[in-house]
Amino acid sequence: MNIRYRIIILTVTLLIIFALFLKVLNSNKVYQPNQMIGKKIPEFVLEDLFDKKIKINSKELLDKDFVVINIWASWCIPCRVEHPLLINLKNNNQINIIGINYKDERMNAKNFLKTYENPYQLVGVDSNGEVSIQLGAYGVPETYVLNKGKIIFKNIGPLNEDIVTKILQLKK
Amino acid sequence: MTAGSIGNLALIICFILNIYLIFSLTTKIKKKSFKDLKKIKFINNSIFILLLFSFLTLIYCFIISDFANAAVYQNSHTTKPLLYKISGAWGNHEGSMVLFVLILSLFSFLFSNSKVNDELKIYTIFFQSILIFIFLLFLIFTSNPFDQIDPKPLQGLGLNPILQDPLLVIHPPFLYFGYVGFSLVFSFALAGLVTNRFNSLWSKVSNFWILLPWSSLTIGIGLGSFWAYYELGWGGYWFWDPVENASLMPWLAATALLHSNIVTLKKDKLYSWTALLSIFTFVMSLLGTFLVRSGVLNSVHAFANDPYRGVYILSIILLITFFSLVIFIIKDPKKSLITNYSFFQRDNFILINNYFLIFFLSVVLVGTVYPIILEAILGQSISVGPVYYNTILTPFLFVFLFFMAHGPLLNWNKDKSIKLKNIKIFLPISLILSSIIIFVFLDYKNIILFLALIFSIYLIVSVVFDWIFQKKLNLNLGRLFSHLGFGLLIFSIFINAYSSKEINSAMKVGDEVKTQGFIIKFQGINKIKKDNYEEIFGNFLVSKDNKQVQLTPSIRKYDQPVQFTSETSIKSNFITDYYFAINLSEFEKDKIMVRFYYKPFMLWIWSSVLLIAFGGIYQTFRARNEY
Repeated sequence: MNIRYRIIILTVTLLIIFALFLKVLNSNKVYQPNQMIGKKIPEFVLEDLFDKKIKINSKELLDKDFVVINIWASWCIPCRVEHPLLINLKNNNQINIIGINYKDERMNAKNFLKTYENPYQLVGVDSNGEVSIQLGAYGVPETYVLNKGKIIFKNIGPLNEDIVTKILQLKK
Repeated sequence: MTAGSIGNLALIICFILNIYLIFSLTTKIKKKSFKDLKKIKFINNSIFILLLFSFLTLIYCFIISDFANAAVYQNSHTTKPLLYKISGAWGNHEGSMVLFVLILSLFSFLFSNSKVNDELKIYTIFFQSILIFIFLLFLIFTSNPFDQIDPKPLQGLGLNPILQDPLLVIHPPFLYFGYVGFSLVFSFALAGLVTNRFNSLWSKVSNFWILLPWSSLTIGIGLGSFWAYYELGWGGYWFWDPVENASLMPWLAATALLHSNIVTLKKDKLYSWTALLSIFTFVMSLLGTFLVRSGVLNSVHAFANDPYRGVYILSIILLITFFSLVIFIIKDPKKSLITNYSFFQRDNFILINNYFLIFFLSVVLVGTVYPIILEAILGQSISVGPVYYNTILTPFLFVFLFFMAHGPLLNWNKDKSIKLKNIKIFLPISLILSSIIIFVFLDYKNIILFLALIFSIYLIVSVVFDWIFQKKLNLNLGRLFSHLGFGLLIFSIFINAYSSKEINSAMKVGDEVKTQGFIIKFQGINKIKKDNYEEIFGNFLVSKDNKQVQLTPSIRKYDQPVQFTSETSIKSNFITDYYFAINLSEFEKDKIMVRFYYKPFMLWIWSSVLLIAFGGIYQTFRARNEY
């Protein structure tokens, strides 16, 4: 076999391998979080943690002036740190918070809320983390404030008093 | 200026210096002036030192918990012990890619300061710096470890108790040193091909550069397996998991290369094959990197995975493969002189086992990659598990052991007098020994196990025979250690596989389970309160033939809300491990799920791997002194 044929065979083989693996890569749903501040939230529908019949649809959030979304998980330790602040927001400031439960077991998540009290109006189950990543989350916890479906504020990591004050100012 | 931005700057300077290095090497090659390497060495050394600096900067970011750095935020936490903060630096995608480039450069640095023909040296550094260029490009533009996030988070996310294990601190560096170390012999092979200097001198030098990463990879694989055994709680040490296979594939290719290179060195033949294996070994390392790092496999664990990252790694691997194979095709050093060919000569036995190694490699490769591709194309999931590997590999392994036992005893040249006359000695000994073991000591009689014992003992006997009775002046201790280790490894793996026992039961305090010759008694529980968890120990008494072993596995209950982890309890003696793990029961609330494993010869498995690696290290130093 002369050199040219060998190189042609090599090229064809490698191209086939490339095509196959490209297909593998594309069938994999993995995303890079984007900077989402100032952008509209992606469309999503999530099932509620406690009642599978209730669906949280992103379209319903589009006409609201002030929505707080909190991404959390029962295995996430910083989430426990910020939890009292979320309870406080709900009880003392009458703010409705939508929780997104990130890559979690339903049982563990329910236990968490039973032990710590539930600050959420609704909790969407995001078991493979897809919606959270589409929202631009790096990890848990993260908190978003939406205005007419647009992300106007975002906090990475657990909340503290200062950030809560900022969120409350945004409401006005 | 933050530490992160200084590290980033160092990376960018490296990138520029590296382009300059490639440029000056190209001019040297064009002018064919291979003297005066001072400047080249200086730039090459500077690149290594800057990369090292950048890596240390990243470690510093982890130590001070600089959460404005995305990699630190996602993988660290202020309350983590210092050791795990440091190891967090290479425990993630970005950090491990810095380590990857650093080791590429380390090998280039070591090589440029060693004694080699100048022309070969220039070409080798040239190819190596192209690799560094490609991976620096990847690092800086798709996986930058110094990416900042805004607003700066107050606390990090990385506090997974399972990953905080001292073994996981040292396992990746060993693995990477092996994986990436094969890049040097890859570049050196291309240099040899291009300069038409692929000869026995090439083999002499490359011997060292194959043995060094090979030994490290052996240790790395051993450590990974050890961790799985201790930490995962399922009694197994090798699961044929794609990530494990990714490290085994380059090891198999490198083992084949190691041996074919000896033939090239001693007999002045197999040039094409050795060159091809040099390329192939590094390609297998790259494939492993692709599988582990592209998110193809562990999409469940990957939080943020850039889809372009995978495409980029895939493209560079195929480009590297393409260009290296084109060089091989054009410059194929096919000057094998087959003179005085006889079946019974050492190089022939080595070649036969080389083919076996490549066969083993293909089996693992198909088992790892085929399910992934099938699922992507047909959406069909198939499970390729231990049964596939064990059934296909086992019979051929026996033949492999036979050739491995006789190869080193044959002469390099045609020699009728020796042939296989030692069969008369080895076969009776191994038959008697394995019969004694299987009929007297083991209560499990199985033909496969019997064959495995015969062949592994056969190899061990041949090594001992070689060691004691051959009275050679120049005894090859490295080979003896490694081959002895391999014989012992197969011996222990098979005894372990066939006489391991597993008992599963739900028990409450006071219960006693009698089965398979064991009596397990649940004597009581202790509770210990620690800072952030409560640990519940179960006290179990396991008795077997008047021998009693006390085991105390535990469940850790991390502070509310409830999160449980299970800690194994292992009592090990020279022959057997008693292995215990407990879980909370989901169905019977008052009982605990108990898993007991009786695992013979575990200590032997670990020792054999160490022996194999030790042989490699010994031989590495010998190869170092030789050239």
